[in-house]
Amino acid sequence: MPAVQVENLVKTYGDGTQAVKGISFKVDDGEFFGFLGPNGAGKSTTIKILTTLLRKTSGLANVAGLEIEHDAQKVRKLIGVQMQDTVIDEDLTGRENLELQGHLQQMHGEELKERVNELLKVVDLGDAADKRSAYYSGGMKKRLDLASTLVHRPKILFLDEPTTGLDPQSRAQVWSYLKGLNQTGMTIFITTQYLEEVDRLCRRLAILDHGEIVAQGSPSELKSEIGADRITLALANGNPGTGSLKDMAKQVLGGLGGIKEIVDSDEGIVVYAKNGGFLVPDIVRAFDTAEIKLSSIGVSSPTLDDVFLKHTGRRIRPEEIDKSRASGMFGRRRR
Amino acid sequence: MSLASDSYYMFLRWMKKLVRNPILLFFSLFQPIIFLVLFTQLFSSFGLLLGGINYTIFATAGIVLQNAFSSAFQSGTAVVDDIKSGFLTKMLATPASRASILLGRLLSDAFRVFAQSLIILVLAYGLGVFPVTGFIGYVLILFTVAFFGLAWSGISLALGLRTKSAETVFGIAGTLTFPLLFMSTALMDKRLMPEWMKSVSAYNPISFAVNAIRDLIMIGYNWNSFLLSFGVISLIAILTLGATIYEFRKVVS
Ligand SMILES: Nc1ncnc2c1ncn2[C@@H]1O[C@H](COP(=O)(O)OP(=O)(O)O)[C@@H](O)[C@H]1O
Ligand SMILES: [Mg+2]
Repeated sequence: MPAVQVENLVKTYGDGTQAVKGISFKVDDGEFFGFLGPNGAGKSTTIKILTTLLRKTSGLANVAGLEIEHDAQKVRKLIGVQMQDTVIDEDLTGRENLELQGHLQQMHGEELKERVNELLKVVDLGDAADKRSAYYSGGMKKRLDLASTLVHRPKILFLDEPTTGLDPQSRAQVWSYLKGLNQTGMTIFITTQYLEEVDRLCRRLAILDHGEIVAQGSPSELKSEIGADRITLALANGNPGTGSLKDMAKQVLGGLGGIKEIVDSDEGIVVYAKNGGFLVPDIVRAFDTAEIKLSSIGVSSPTLDDVFLKHTGRRIRPEEIDKSRASGMFGRRRR
Repeated sequence: MSLASDSYYMFLRWMKKLVRNPILLFFSLFQPIIFLVLFTQLFSSFGLLLGGINYTIFATAGIVLQNAFSSAFQSGTAVVDDIKSGFLTKMLATPASRASILLGRLLSDAFRVFAQSLIILVLAYGLGVFPVTGFIGYVLILFTVAFFGLAWSGISLALGLRTKSAETVFGIAGTLTFPLLFMSTALMDKRLMPEWMKSVSAYNPISFAVNAIRDLIMIGYNWNSFLLSFGVISLIAILTLGATIYEFRKVVS
């Protein structure tokens, strides 16, 4: 039985925003599943539906074999949920936060006490356990939040961008906790904008854009679908964004053999080709003849970013989040 | 099924938050204490106009009610905080009973009003105010005022859930407090009011509760006024808590 099964899931918000436009995917039991997409793709919306926090508009959504709206109460006992923003009660200590979560999951007495102690150790909050969580650092708060989703030993853990806004060290730490949890058999469903993390840790992933799944599979499958190396070209004279020069360059490239695909990117042009290394001298020569100056040219094997670029014509830029984060501190961010 | 235990833990959470914010605790008691100590001194000559009674004794019922009123009126802002921080969502992701989220909050409001009223009554005792009905009078006063607080926090909760803005709740509470207080028998006997105000005050729910408590302090058991105030508070409770449940359902679904 799959841990999560979604078919033709649609969510249209009250104001007419079509956040999710009929997506289908499946997460197997025990899988580490990545849900990847840029800001506004519909990741949070999907996760809220799967965790019984938002009603779907139409489609089928099962979690642990249970229909989420019909069996909401049962689903809530089986899942742990970490929201995009860190949510803890800062007036309570770390221990009290965990105990409250346990109580609300109908855990009591010695069993809960032991479980809380164990978790405090796991997330390295043993020493700060009885301090008001208001005095915790950002990373400690995030870890406490993560621990609070684990108190009742959920079978499936849903995490909405758990590493966004963390420094690289804390990010690595969170991922290593998650890896450990997954090794104990917990299914993990995680949304993120960080491609490298997904590439390294997720067994399978789906890429979401504008409410639609544009690709899914294992990282290596998706990358091999590209079936080519990537050659990144940056044009020297003038702004690489300006049209005519780029068009000229693309025309030149079109005249060369062995190229699989030519894609616009913000930095210039990306060319996909088998044995990209051999093609570089040809490209340089052709550009020389056409008197187009290159500022740089580079070859690399494909990444998930290329997968995303191939399907959407754009790149995922996690740094955009940081901007929206900063404004979120003053204006209210939409949830 | 888990309603009782869930509500208890929600209640406990609010209690912890309350005692850990002593400044909040202090300031919510500050105004009633100022009223009790300064206002009653300033207006002590009203006692003469009321036939030579001690004004502090007269005003204690009103001050207890005023505190209940403004304390309960802040309840909605706490719920707005929970909505904005996402804590409400976090609770909704657990199997905890939905009703317990409201019930825990309401119980904590009632308890807070109960404790604050007790402090005011103890201070008043120091100023020579004690109910002629004695210990049972104290118990009845505290329960009446806690019940009033519970009913009144419903308005604040409904407003908070509807507007999701603490500023709005504060604004409305602040604007309504004094007109409602002054157009009631809280601080002034109806005999000394202008005619129009007398009629307003006769329908002001605060007046009913104040009269019941004042009778317990000054006269003795007046079951008519006690039951009447109970009826009025129940009516308010049904209306405000009905509105709260309605707004809560909209937020939760
Ligand atoms: N409550 C809401 N009402 C209306 N539109 C919303 C609401 N929440 C999110 N949206 C919109 O739905 C789309 C998907 O948002 P979201 O699921 O938060 O994306 P992501 O988590 O991938 O960044 C966005 O266009 C967003 O503005
Ligand atoms: Mg999101």
